[in-house]
Amino acid sequence: MEKSKSKYVGVRITDQQASVLSRLQKDSKLSKTEILLQGLDFLDEFYSLGLDKQPLSEELSALENEALHHAAELKRVRRREEAIREMVQELRNVDEIVDKYQCDKSAVIQILLDIQAENHWLPRHALMWVSERLDIPMSQILHLATFYKAFSLKPRGKHLVTVCLGTACHVRGGPRILDHAERVLGIKAGETTEDLKFTLESVNCLGCCALGPVIVVDGNYHGKMSPSNVGKILSSCT
Amino acid sequence: MNKLKSASDLEELRKQILSRRDPKKPCITVCSGTACRATGCEKVSAAFQGELKKQKLMNKVDFRTTGCPGFCERGPIVVIQPEGIFYQEVEAKDVGEIVSETILNKRVIDRLLYTDPQTGQKVVLEKEVPFYKKQKRILLDSNSLIDPGKIEDYLAIGGYSALSKVLFEMKPEQVIDVIKQSGLRGRGGAGFPTGIKWETCRRTKGDTKYVICNADEGDPGAFANRGLLEGNPQSVLEGMLIGAYAIGSSEGFIYVRQEYPLAVENVALAIEQAEEYGLLGKNILGSGFDFKITIHRGAGAFVSGESSALMSAIEGKVGEPRPKYVHTSVKGIWDRPSCLNNVETWATVPPIITKGADWFNSMGTERSKGTKIFSLVGKVNNTGLVEVPMGMTLREIITDIGGGIPNGKKFKAVQTGGPSGGCIPEKFLDLPVDFDELAKAGSIMGSGGMIVMDEDTCMVDTAKYFTNFLADESCGKCIPCREGLRQMLKILNAVTAGKATQDDIKRLEELSEVVRDASLCALGQTAPNPVLSTLRHFRDEYEAHIKGSCPAKVCKELVTYYIDPEKCQACGLCLKNCPVGAISGKKEVVHVIDPEKCIKCDACFEVCPDKFNAVAKISGEAVPPAVPQGTRVKKRR
Amino acid sequence: MNTVTLKIDGKAVKAEEGMTVLQAANSAGIDIPTLCYHDKLEPFGACRFCMVEVTKGGRSKLVASCCYPVEDALIVRTDSERINRIRKVLLELILPLAPVGPLLGLAKKYGVKESRFPLDKGEEPSYCILCGRCVRYCAEIKKLNAIGFVGRGIDRMVALVPGIGDECVACRECYEASICEGGKFVPSAEEFAYPLHRSWPFFKSPRRRQTPHDD
Repeated sequence: MEKSKSKYVGVRITDQQASVLSRLQKDSKLSKTEILLQGLDFLDEFYSLGLDKQPLSEELSALENEALHHAAELKRVRRREEAIREMVQELRNVDEIVDKYQCDKSAVIQILLDIQAENHWLPRHALMWVSERLDIPMSQILHLATFYKAFSLKPRGKHLVTVCLGTACHVRGGPRILDHAERVLGIKAGETTEDLKFTLESVNCLGCCALGPVIVVDGNYHGKMSPSNVGKILSSCT
Repeated sequence: MNKLKSASDLEELRKQILSRRDPKKPCITVCSGTACRATGCEKVSAAFQGELKKQKLMNKVDFRTTGCPGFCERGPIVVIQPEGIFYQEVEAKDVGEIVSETILNKRVIDRLLYTDPQTGQKVVLEKEVPFYKKQKRILLDSNSLIDPGKIEDYLAIGGYSALSKVLFEMKPEQVIDVIKQSGLRGRGGAGFPTGIKWETCRRTKGDTKYVICNADEGDPGAFANRGLLEGNPQSVLEGMLIGAYAIGSSEGFIYVRQEYPLAVENVALAIEQAEEYGLLGKNILGSGFDFKITIHRGAGAFVSGESSALMSAIEGKVGEPRPKYVHTSVKGIWDRPSCLNNVETWATVPPIITKGADWFNSMGTERSKGTKIFSLVGKVNNTGLVEVPMGMTLREIITDIGGGIPNGKKFKAVQTGGPSGGCIPEKFLDLPVDFDELAKAGSIMGSGGMIVMDEDTCMVDTAKYFTNFLADESCGKCIPCREGLRQMLKILNAVTAGKATQDDIKRLEELSEVVRDASLCALGQTAPNPVLSTLRHFRDEYEAHIKGSCPAKVCKELVTYYIDPEKCQACGLCLKNCPVGAISGKKEVVHVIDPEKCIKCDACFEVCPDKFNAVAKISGEAVPPAVPQGTRVKKRR
Repeated sequence: MNTVTLKIDGKAVKAEEGMTVLQAANSAGIDIPTLCYHDKLEPFGACRFCMVEVTKGGRSKLVASCCYPVEDALIVRTDSERINRIRKVLLELILPLAPVGPLLGLAKKYGVKESRFPLDKGEEPSYCILCGRCVRYCAEIKKLNAIGFVGRGIDRMVALVPGIGDECVACRECYEASICEGGKFVPSAEEFAYPLHRSWPFFKSPRRRQTPHDD
């Protein structure tokens, strides 16, 4: 490194700064001058990244709020750092999923399906991340997320109860089963209970028509349903 | 497992597999399709495996979980081979008895046998069961013979011999000729001649072409594709391979709806195994032909099963249809030639290659050759998948195979073709079922859904149901479908609430015509069919609703639930089961329903014992005034 | 480029291969009504107003002229009882939603005085017929993708992508008369830019539309 003409040693420092400096020396085994030079390099990078600019720190605090908001959606109370850490972990999982499909744009629906399966919903930051990595505009992602019934933009309950409303089930009384489930759970189809325990959905045919009316609870199929059975099955879910 | 590198490798392996199998060895087969899983077949399978181990019969008796043979109404189904003894509605607790009685002592267990409702006789053998007897199961029979998770089972029944023949003994053009000659028409609903589609695709210039399997089966009530994909996925792969060779493609897609998780699983496993054996991938069987298949799951949209929408979805866009004026066989995925066929169509290809075009076109009618799988469901005794030659009449299917209407009720209509189809009344029951005949009754064969309806089904409610379904599933892009269906639904809601007028019916008819003529895709263009066909055949029901009555006593706003004081025996069941406490009464006192509170949930009607039959549904007539409180019951003599 | 000759309403029209029937008609001065079509954007085929009857080889069918490619010896009719009935009913369906400018003009032309499909009690006009011109403009010309479709079927609407706000306030071209025909409604800056953390999923539609997603 070229020796410049200007000097910067000989500046008075506070006790606080002195203790930081001596700790750094001990930890890094660098000389005072080396530490100061490294500090300059670091600052240089800091400025080149625009980290000193106001909007970015606004964005960082927006990110923090995002994380807290996310935790709140899931009815969990979290400290800031925990909330951010959770969000980062979810984003890492999204990365894994995207990589599994070799970051292929045409696999976006498959990627969203996997994210939905893992989280039981599509969190906002996950969608933004997918948009970034696959280079698909957010408007497209949002259209996909709101077009398909499999996706939920709100957290889903622990137990997913799906009532089949296909024609065969309809003819055999499917709507009455749905009515009963809505009454028992206190929500309408498409909604989730306040305590995030149950989500009730209807589906337009599961292909088990011979056994109508059919409901699926947590992936388990129940055929030849009657309203009284509905209550029994739901109460057996913890 | 070493990849098979030649046709002789394949035959060698097949011989080895067969040599390890003794067709005379007892084999217990349990259906493990989605429907049987719903009735508990997994517990039955576990029980069998446990029992065989316990009795140290693992070497003497084979056990196999199979694909769906179709008689879903009576699941879990267990068939004991080689005899073909047919047991229905088997539970885990029956397993011990089956092993000791039937397997070891060759005795049949009466209570597990199927009883013929016509003769009252018990039926022992699967092939004698009336449900199966009249069928011609060129596709479905294989389901009972194989474990869909074991490619070797498929090889044992001759699997991939058609592919081998095609790769080494036939030129692509010859393959296309055979398919053309067979008369095979697409089984997905449109019935386009498959051979011509393949030919168009082959003739279109382009280095990259695609082969697609449409497994989106969105028609509610249809599950034939599910049965095939879950039960014999390898046959679909083989069909696609043959098609790809014929048109000159090296890449294929299977678009399967995510509502079929078992089908997705079984197909993924089948692809994995086929790749392991060198039947998919590069240089298949050493022929120089490459082909790979990717699974693409749907995400819950019926409209994405439309061919241009499906291709958009595969491209990673929203699965909405596009105005299609150039055939997708010419310009499909990424504007490249794409050959899209239904699951059933692909599964039919290997048998045609093996047994020949003449064999196939000897079955069926003049313009509809071969067989078709129907899902026979609704108000019929034997529900499930039935495979029959084209040309069998509706009456034969519903009566001879379906066993007629249960509970002594009267047949009213059969709905065919899903939401694109119509309702066919009794007078047309002798129409043969094929691609063209049902149009005479204002319906279509479609993808094979056949929903039987009886006197307790309201046809206006049915039309409303389908219109609601289509409004829900419409992509919303074009004005006629989106806004037209919205308004049609509004009118139908008014009809079923008894608030409609003749003018409303006129508006409904006019809307139907515009939606049919102006919509962008087939969903919208066929959306008015349920309304138009019910208006044609059941106009009297619409008229009744306008006058304020629902003849089938289904439409809630037009029905009052009433307990007949002459019949009520105060058993209290209705009171107990009423979810809103609308029934008052006590021991020895006639129960009364408060019409203000009643939500018409039907619970009281269902639980009132048959011997009393005291709950009546009244529509279009005056409801008798309530009896004075505290009226004592009239004791039955 | 090959030239083809087709007949539109009896008039012989020359067109280049690759053109659509609509483009050919426009070049010959034949007027076909359109709503979702814009000459700078890719054809969409959603409004169905441009439907015409084409006949080739003795077979006729109704197609959207903005998407249908020209063919040699194609016979096209832009005007018939069937076609006009379609346009009339389509107008009846969308007039209550957007009783403005161009639609009123078309209503007059096709003799639609009143719609038989009025809005429900309490329902407000949304001024949006979902023609998609704003979405396509932002995607294809501005390449910003700040506005898009959300939802499906009856619930389909046009909405701003949450968080894009600032760039939108500066641009607002999707609202200009040349793009949006649903009305000259210009929202305030606040209505455009909205913060990320409103109750998600919350989509702000530039049009006031009564849907479950509206805030």
